[in-house]
Amino acid sequence: MKDTIIAHITGIGWVTADSSGCGKNHDRFTLTRQVLPNIFRQAVFDMPDPSFRRMDAYCKLGLAAISLALKDARLHEWTEKRPIGIIASTEFGCLSTDMDYFDTVMAGKGLAASPALFSYTLPNSLLGVAAIRFGLTGINFVISESVPFGIAGLQMSLDVIASGETEKMLCGACDLGCPPSLNVSGHSPTGAIFFMLERSPPQNSFAYGPVGLDRQCRVRFGQTEIADLAMLVQACLKNDRS
Amino acid sequence: MEKTEIHQSASQKQHPHPVIITDAAAMTALGSYPGELWAGLLAGKTAIRPFGRFGADNTDAKIAAWIEDLKPAGGRSMISTLLDRLLYNQRAIPPDALLITATAKAGIDNLELLRRGYPADSRDILLSSVSKIISQKLGLMGKGINISAACASSTVAVARGAAWIASGRVDAVLVCCADIVTAFVLSGFSALKALSPVPCMPFDQNRSGLSLGEGAAVLLMMSKKRAERENRHSIGRILGWGVSNDATHITAPAKNGCGLVQAISQALKKAKRKPEEIAAIHAHGTGTLYNDLMELVAFRQVFEGRKVPIYSVKGAIGHTLGAAGGIETVLSLNTLQTRVIPPTVGCSRPEAGAEGQVSSESKPIFGSYLLTTNSGFGGVNAALILGK
Repeated sequence: MKDTIIAHITGIGWVTADSSGCGKNHDRFTLTRQVLPNIFRQAVFDMPDPSFRRMDAYCKLGLAAISLALKDARLHEWTEKRPIGIIASTEFGCLSTDMDYFDTVMAGKGLAASPALFSYTLPNSLLGVAAIRFGLTGINFVISESVPFGIAGLQMSLDVIASGETEKMLCGACDLGCPPSLNVSGHSPTGAIFFMLERSPPQNSFAYGPVGLDRQCRVRFGQTEIADLAMLVQACLKNDRS
Repeated sequence: MEKTEIHQSASQKQHPHPVIITDAAAMTALGSYPGELWAGLLAGKTAIRPFGRFGADNTDAKIAAWIEDLKPAGGRSMISTLLDRLLYNQRAIPPDALLITATAKAGIDNLELLRRGYPADSRDILLSSVSKIISQKLGLMGKGINISAACASSTVAVARGAAWIASGRVDAVLVCCADIVTAFVLSGFSALKALSPVPCMPFDQNRSGLSLGEGAAVLLMMSKKRAERENRHSIGRILGWGVSNDATHITAPAKNGCGLVQAISQALKKAKRKPEEIAAIHAHGTGTLYNDLMELVAFRQVFEGRKVPIYSVKGAIGHTLGAAGGIETVLSLNTLQTRVIPPTVGCSRPEAGAEGQVSSESKPIFGSYLLTTNSGFGGVNAALILGK
């Protein structure tokens, strides 16, 4: 398989309407458009974290899944910042926060505009909070692709690893769905999934298996061609049990 | 997939696919590129002036670099109108070009209208709308993706486009970026106390904040082979790129510039260039106290005290948010072509330590490589090394 980029999936974390957790603790996974559960700090971190309370729902959701993926890969504890990158995909991003923020602008004719809410009106705020919480200094950006929970971020993450820009990448998707008061015909399921990809995982460490990107930009896990991130989780869990 | 290490051909490691830029255009409040925009920059003009599109009575700044007659049409966002203008005279784009767009807030003006109870097309609110609009307008085969990384969005888009070409996976990438000035962003930066009441003064001792601007840019990048096949000439090269996070604060940069140092170092390494080969730095230079200081600290560290000429165009065209990096890349190409850096409008007394580096006059540069940088909320930093 000449010119195929291969990295290893060493961690999976998710929060969906059905379940949340690390890949190693589950044997099934579903992604739906159902209403998501509220995310409390205790479900994500053992210790109190004042900044968590201030975050918007989009950041809490994404941070929870990133935290679980890092935990699954045993990379959640750190003492020095490390060059781990993150690429997250989203369709609606922080649109609910945008609306909440603009309501504060309208309410006070601009005088009551909330700086705290405005700070979370960019979808990459999620990457910022994750970087601060886990000391992640690698490449980081958010993409919006035509297929929600699609593989564009995975393709880019594999390309980043192959080009030697970093050894470890978190990649995944995070979506709260379309705010009910907006009539936007999106197709996104609700939830967050993140994968930990490593170029060379430590010896004797657990890995779900290698994921590859070929010259035609097809992503494969084993012999299976991957169409979206939910499919990749299912393939990993199946491989883990086989 | 039986092997478990990353496979790369030896040639791939040595940049077998040079990334060249064949087409570039930009639209700003100071005019369009090249023509009036470049002439305006060299003349030291500014497009920052009293804001007249909507009431800004309750914001800290009543000025912005705004495009006079930019209006929404048919329920679509102003961003659609802006993209129409940007692409009006655009030479044909190969339909198979991979499309990467970049925007911080897309058609957020339509969210404002909807929240105020007016009709507007809700599709334009989504970040992916910019890719869809461009793909449709240009008849591209793919729908493309949008990259969002705050004020470094389009810098990251150029970097990833270049990376795809350098890897040999694609041979043509179109990067298109756009952002507009709206009540949403103006009130937000005002709430954060980040706006200057007077036109911004990048790197000046008396700087007091940023001035918002709006604009768009388009860059067509190709492998050398593809460009030769299509008889398109090179107007510049993307040699290196780096993107990092300083992991410090959501809205403030790391004072020691660690994230920017990391991004620049990566870009230099990728470009296989040494700091002493860089002729000038096209800085982010927003005019905020902390950003400009952070940049100077980072540049001092990377260049080990060498006084590399630094300039910022934000005193002329304002801070165009997610479009800033793309517009600044386009302008950097002209700097390399003409070997002249435009004046840093608004800077009359450079910050301590930057004397002789930042100037309110245009200056000649000596060398063939230019560094351009952008940083943004969420701790993101991005750097590109451009060559002639």
